[in-house]
Amino acid sequence: MTIKSRKRRERLGDAISFTLVCVFVILVLFPLWWIFRSSLMTNPEIGSLSFFPGRWIFDNYAAALEVFDYFRYLKNTMTILIPCVVFGTITAVMCGYSFARLYFRGRSFVFGLCISSLLLPPIVTLIPLYIGWVRFLGLGDTYWPLILPYLTGGGAFNIFLVRQFIMTVPKELDEAAKIDGAGTLRILVQVLVPSILPAIIVVALFIFIGIWNDVLLQTVYISDVNDYTIALGLKRFSGSYGTDWKLAMASTVLSILPGVFVYLIGQRYFVEGIVMTGLKN
Amino acid sequence: MGKASIKRSKLARYEARLAKIYLIPAFLGLTFLTYLPLLSVFALSLFKWTAIMPKPLFIGLGNYIRLFSKDMFFWTSLKVTIQYAVLTVVLSIAYSMSMALLLNRKIPARGFFRAMFYVPYIIPAMAVYMSWGLLYNKDFGVFNALLAQFGFARIAFLVDSKYIIPSLAVIAVWTSGNLIVIFQAGLGSVPRVYYEAAEIDGANFWMRFIHITLPIMSPIIFYNLLMSLIANMQVVVPSLIYAGSNRTTYPEYTFMSFLMYRSGFINNEFSYASAISFVFFALIGAFTLVLFSTSRSWLFYEGGDK
Repeated sequence: MTIKSRKRRERLGDAISFTLVCVFVILVLFPLWWIFRSSLMTNPEIGSLSFFPGRWIFDNYAAALEVFDYFRYLKNTMTILIPCVVFGTITAVMCGYSFARLYFRGRSFVFGLCISSLLLPPIVTLIPLYIGWVRFLGLGDTYWPLILPYLTGGGAFNIFLVRQFIMTVPKELDEAAKIDGAGTLRILVQVLVPSILPAIIVVALFIFIGIWNDVLLQTVYISDVNDYTIALGLKRFSGSYGTDWKLAMASTVLSILPGVFVYLIGQRYFVEGIVMTGLKN
Repeated sequence: MGKASIKRSKLARYEARLAKIYLIPAFLGLTFLTYLPLLSVFALSLFKWTAIMPKPLFIGLGNYIRLFSKDMFFWTSLKVTIQYAVLTVVLSIAYSMSMALLLNRKIPARGFFRAMFYVPYIIPAMAVYMSWGLLYNKDFGVFNALLAQFGFARIAFLVDSKYIIPSLAVIAVWTSGNLIVIFQAGLGSVPRVYYEAAEIDGANFWMRFIHITLPIMSPIIFYNLLMSLIANMQVVVPSLIYAGSNRTTYPEYTFMSFLMYRSGFINNEFSYASAISFVFFALIGAFTLVLFSTSRSWLFYEGGDK
């Protein structure tokens, strides 16, 4: 009888949890619906409580594209994003491999420096980096200050992630390849990369998110309107008084879409990657 | 044997050289993008240098004296940064832990729900703050539409100093779906036998949470607490978007990063901004140390070591 009553209580708990989860998911998704619904309305209607647009004005999107130079911004964003993702991932794999498999004196010291840099808030070094890029190297108003940092392993965290994963691959695998006469580069590309592919995808996704999310660095380094990224283009709506909300929201929806697309493709890896960031420490 | 060891040492030397070649990107990054700039921040903070001055002028601790005793924004900025970071971290950990616990029950479509909680995390920061700018708007926002519907006075959530920090914290919590995924994975790794044993002893849900879940999850909670504290103390984007265009901004938006940004990039006082950066660095360092040193007393590692 006790087992039965416990089972019933358990089932009741599950039912309550399910209800709560539904309520919270609706709350979490509500802002997104509200933005989308606002993007299809007239400005006065946006301020009302109506849950659906009276008339679905898809022309708002056409009007938004007149003031929000979406395709130019998207192209500019990609100009930064693609080299960062490609070279950031490659260098992260190289460095992670070196830390995991190749021994040299002072390796743990260098690795320690690498790990401690994780605790350094990037914003602290913004001023000297700005002076370096713009004053010393004259790279102001170019994308280089946004791209070049990713050629250094895509950040300590990504190097760390790759290293951890390579360390889980049995060493016998490289040894076997070595006996077959493979050099380190061949071992890395033909043996290790295939076996840690999920981690590599995760690194690429993290670099993507980092750039996709960035507002501060783009604000600091880009000033020419022609070079604006999606984030900066969107920011122009916030500066003016009397924002035209229907256009601002249509532009916001447009700027969310590419990220959602990438998320849908890489969802499994996203989740895996997030779990790795939180559990591997 | 001797021959073999010579061969091995040759191989080792070859390997060491290769290792360093592969690590060139990391060497460059650590030197020029991390540690050298960190030293430069401190060095610069001892000078007076604005964008129009051709050469920096050494003034010792002058910037720090100005910051601590003359800058009317500094102490406010310290206060609001800590308020925001603590509020945000506590709320988002509580929210994501609760959601993870709910998702850990036997409920249908768990993966779908988890993915939905996670959606706000993938929305770029700019779009997040634009969206909430509308939701919180005094005339067009949904919250004010509701308030007006029920006969309450409208509230300027992002302008009225009482509401700014809590309103921003809600936005940050909304985007913290990544923590739910982390906590849920952590909960999945708690051995079932513990719960079964506790249940036989008659422990209820709350007791099981306090005595089993929380201790086993403590390293994960600690790590995420530390990481989100560091991340949230660096808050600057809401200020750039909601207060960036006004020169005389509200004190609630002058987070330390924004104070630094404004000094460096709007007022062009590089060296003064460096002093702010260095103080900020010290502050985050102090927080990290405090968290680490207290962690011994409440962290639990499996295997009995405390």
